[in-house]
Amino acid sequence: MISKWIGKRVVMGIIVLFIVSFLSFFIMHAAPGDPATAFYGGNAQTLNAAEKERISRVFSLDRPVIVQYGAWLWETVQGNFGYSSKEGRPVSVILFERLPNTLLLFSVTMFFIIVGSIWLGTVAGMKAGSMWDKGLSTISIASSSIPPFWLGILFISFFSVKLGILPSSGTEDVGGDGGLMDKIRHLIMPAAVIILTHVGIYARFLQESIKTESNKYYVLVARANGVAKREIQKGILRNASIPYLNYIGMTIPSFFGGAVIVESLFSWAGLGQLMVKAVMTKDFPLIMGGILSIGLLVVSSLLIIDLVMYGVDPKLRKGAYSK
Amino acid sequence: MLNVDRLTIEIDGKCVVEESAFSVRPGKITSIIGESGSGKSMTIAALLTILPLGAKATGHALFNGRNLLDASKKEMDAIRKTHIFTIFQDAANSFNPSVKMERQLYTFSGGRRGDTVQQFRTKMTGLLDELELSVDILKQYPFELSGGMLQRCMIACALYVAPDLLIADEPTSSLDRVLQKEFIELLKRLNEEQGTTILLITHDLDVVVEVAHEMVVMQAGKVVETGSVATIFKQPGHPYTKRLLDSRF
Repeated sequence: MISKWIGKRVVMGIIVLFIVSFLSFFIMHAAPGDPATAFYGGNAQTLNAAEKERISRVFSLDRPVIVQYGAWLWETVQGNFGYSSKEGRPVSVILFERLPNTLLLFSVTMFFIIVGSIWLGTVAGMKAGSMWDKGLSTISIASSSIPPFWLGILFISFFSVKLGILPSSGTEDVGGDGGLMDKIRHLIMPAAVIILTHVGIYARFLQESIKTESNKYYVLVARANGVAKREIQKGILRNASIPYLNYIGMTIPSFFGGAVIVESLFSWAGLGQLMVKAVMTKDFPLIMGGILSIGLLVVSSLLIIDLVMYGVDPKLRKGAYSK
Repeated sequence: MLNVDRLTIEIDGKCVVEESAFSVRPGKITSIIGESGSGKSMTIAALLTILPLGAKATGHALFNGRNLLDASKKEMDAIRKTHIFTIFQDAANSFNPSVKMERQLYTFSGGRRGDTVQQFRTKMTGLLDELELSVDILKQYPFELSGGMLQRCMIACALYVAPDLLIADEPTSSLDRVLQKEFIELLKRLNEEQGTTILLITHDLDVVVEVAHEMVVMQAGKVVETGSVATIFKQPGHPYTKRLLDSRF
């Protein structure tokens, strides 16, 4: 049963990746500019017409876009992402250099967002009408209204420029030992910006789910029959976690979108910063590799969330939603 | 067993039950009857101190000499846990959809009495069998069972707990005629075999005449008549009661 369910999700994920790559490929080629010049990556002024034609012929840029996409897809499914037109190195090598940093930033921020929002949302949701309840509504609006890049600049000017206690950019000190502490010092500000701009809204969603669940009929019946408060709260939390997990799943793609901005701001050498650079230099193979990698991260994250939901929600396990 | 006097319930300043008074005698089935909005369910919510936010109850509701309306939260938890069992109208939504029936039936019955899970299983298996429910339902979730099965599960818990007072709030309104009849028989059995006092809230006069000994008639938040079912059916004293009785097919 579960293997069939996972199989379905994986197939859906592959279809999503295929659609994303297809759209990205065509949108990139629809962008203004000469593909040969973009592919050359250097100073376009130095290319003459013959050289442009030669580049187009050698790299098949003169063929229809659909044929180019087919060729790219064929190579990609065999694990060949091509070469960066800017750096001349294999795209896969560049991606693997960047992937650990993005994974580190993503896992650390997601961990603190989930732990923080569960704590805040539960306390506020379970104490309806309390100061926690009212306070969280205000805090969540404030935190989700702050633009990450603005908060990032504020952090840099305060913690790096004024106090000088945290590095303003990079993933490790130049000439440093590259150890754990060095990494953590560089991670603090970008991670804090992402956490602070997300935790409030996630907590608020859980708070509302708990309040909705607390008013359900079965809670009234349990209360009327003297079921222990702890037992009732456990049931409420379990059920409230289902829409909460759904919400996390729905916001994962935009979460990655926000992380791209923060990576660029703090020059965090991750996939997001790489993507921004690749777009600026029109490095098509690298852009496609980056999009596919981020797409894969999103799809994998959603699969993990789906698996957790499968464990939490018996209706999903029993196929009750499809009946 | 239960004496309600001058019970008034206000929601956000608006009076929904006014100065109502009635008694529930031990070992009897007393029915509160009235149309929708007459304040029947709100009265029960006040007795169980589970009124919605913004609602306030005043007056007296003496249960075995203790006024439920001014009982502390701890006292009320203890009373609800050990002396009163309540069956609600909507059986399909009376259970947590994400928790298996065994766990929920245990918290509603064996857990209340401090029984071990093993003791609960033995006793509940017998009760389920009596109620023509398979023991397999213990391994199922509420959404896998019908409304009728879930209502019988609640009855099983009531039989298990054998409370001093069983409150049944419109328990048959979501059941079909066959299940309604079965349910009424179960209530009678509970009353006759275990001597359980029952407070039955309904708007169905057929149910009242079939099962209740005494009745309380409510209209627009007020108790307009109380007495034995036989007497009131024979000679209704209030015009509203008369109209209710005349409305029967």
